[in-house]
Amino acid sequence: MSEIKSPGEPFEPEPTKNETFGSETPVTGQTKMQAAWSSDVENAESTAQVASMPTGQIFQQIYQPWNGTLNPRWMRNWAILRHHVLGIVSKGHRPWNVPTKLFIFFVVIASMTDAAMALLFGMIGDTTLYDIWGVNRDNMYGHVMGFFPRNILWYPIIAALLVGGMISEDRANGTSAMYFSRPINRFDYAAMKFLSVGLILFFVINGTLAVYYFVDILVMGKGWSWIIDTFPMFMATFLCGIILSFTYTSIGLALSSVSRGRFFPAIGLIAILMGTKSMAAIIDGLFDKSVLYVISPYDAVAHVCQALIGTEMTYDHPWVWSLISVVVMNGLALYLLANRVSSLEVTRE
Amino acid sequence: MVGDLVIESTALTKAYGPHVALDSLDIEIHQGATGLLGPNGAGKSTFLKTILGLIQVTSGDGKVLGHDIRTQGDQIRQKIGYMPEYDALNPGMDAIHQVRYSGELMGMNPSIALQRAHQSLEYVGLGEQRYRQVSTFSTGMKQATKLACALIHDPALIIADEPSNGLDAFTRNFMLNTLNTTVKNGGRSVLMASHLMDDVERVCDNIVLLHKGKLAAQGKIEDLKAIDREVEIHVWGSATKMEETLSDRGLRVRREGRVMRIGHSGDETYDLILQTAADVGSQVRRMHDYEASLEDLFLVIMERLGHDVKSSEDLLGGA
Repeated sequence: MSEIKSPGEPFEPEPTKNETFGSETPVTGQTKMQAAWSSDVENAESTAQVASMPTGQIFQQIYQPWNGTLNPRWMRNWAILRHHVLGIVSKGHRPWNVPTKLFIFFVVIASMTDAAMALLFGMIGDTTLYDIWGVNRDNMYGHVMGFFPRNILWYPIIAALLVGGMISEDRANGTSAMYFSRPINRFDYAAMKFLSVGLILFFVINGTLAVYYFVDILVMGKGWSWIIDTFPMFMATFLCGIILSFTYTSIGLALSSVSRGRFFPAIGLIAILMGTKSMAAIIDGLFDKSVLYVISPYDAVAHVCQALIGTEMTYDHPWVWSLISVVVMNGLALYLLANRVSSLEVTRE
Repeated sequence: MVGDLVIESTALTKAYGPHVALDSLDIEIHQGATGLLGPNGAGKSTFLKTILGLIQVTSGDGKVLGHDIRTQGDQIRQKIGYMPEYDALNPGMDAIHQVRYSGELMGMNPSIALQRAHQSLEYVGLGEQRYRQVSTFSTGMKQATKLACALIHDPALIIADEPSNGLDAFTRNFMLNTLNTTVKNGGRSVLMASHLMDDVERVCDNIVLLHKGKLAAQGKIEDLKAIDREVEIHVWGSATKMEETLSDRGLRVRREGRVMRIGHSGDETYDLILQTAADVGSQVRRMHDYEASLEDLFLVIMERLGHDVKSSEDLLGGA
């Protein structure tokens, strides 16, 4: 309760809580604004504000020289190969789309079904089932050249997904200039693109083949005599895998080189593979003539592989005709590829 | 000044069948910034491909940074940074990895290329945007990324094909300043093909002008402007008489109202103008050398070559 003063006593005003202008008032950085001609309550509570410029970052443009040494041709080629192959598994390289990556992963897993079965039946000791799934001439052939599902659903589709934008996107995005304005020649460019697709296919087809073969050796404890006996067969199948990857890649890249999009080369490759086979199959069914299979890339390679691996021949015509067909098909595809890559522009498409 | 030549060619000729794309070019491009100008079909693209060592010349010789264009294309391209006119970036990649890859294609080690990619992107003003996908970039940012790709290996010569194409005023200014800094502070040379005369004039000291595969003009812009040097006067009174008298006395006169531009034909031109003004009773209220722009120079050269054009856009707009 405040004390009541009697009249006559000197009046001492009480200091207000808002008083901040005294000489003893500490400087806090916040100043109260007092209007010159009035000091009502609202104004007394107002706080002065000063417009401030937004503070930006300081950008100092300084040219920084580099005195390093540039590596030779092989390192540049390695960069192209690495860019495309590592893009499948890591960021910062060629941006393959997610469906492509997922499909490759699926096919790699699915391609090892035979290895998994051999492992399973080898471990449980079921000889009947092991004989069905274990390594033998027909199963090796089937791993690489089996039509369903491997060469209708898996390998051609992987090849189509890989080659789709391989060269066509360089044409569409103008990134061909990035290669050819640098010390990359057209042969190296085409060769590294070819090798990149071929290598991924090789990993999928031949990599899983190797897993299948070596799983069988490990699980069944195969001895040296078995290995020496079957290794030529394995190598022949390995070679077939290379021929198959090479053929799919050359046809696919040739299609990619004539296009500016991803769709046409992919569909074109599948159409060529399936269309030629279907036509040859119809002719074979109607007239009992297998010779038209030489126009089908898959069948031509399959025929050659039957001869190489030594499985039962399923075609009536000589396998050399198929070999010639494979060589001609690859030759034509590579010619088209070389021709179109040489037309890729640096200054303007 | 032979020692500072970055590009030189002697009777350089490139023919595609009966069509002669480059006709006996004798070009000398010195260190610094040089503008490459010419109408559509002048041979600019062919010239760029030739100096990059990408196409074989039909006859003649050429050297770029001391390397023979016939046999040393790889060495030339290792020392050149090429910034193409159109999109040349993978839209699905981050800027940093795009620039790093362009360095790797030059032969740089991946780790060094990555380090230089950071520096290059910082230099072109994309330091904060370097982890963004190229597809999300504006035109200016894409142009800057292309420049970073060209600069990653610190080339001696940068070939910039329409570097300010499609840029707004701010980014265009930044791009031209960056090229200027690269020349002035970095000590690098720039060959800049552009249809924007203002841009060429801002960055370049020299120009090379091609026309139908032939060399129409080359040299310092200041020197070339002298061929179109004029004196501008503001006349008060008897302007028509003054114009006629000046023409009678052998001077080339262009008149727009009271303003006349008189062809400069030596120091005596000023005396002749003043004498004429005194003779006809005109007042010359202002007299100064007219500062011709590169645009004026281009039009004069094209006029001499038989083109009736009103602006460089008529010839270069679609280039």
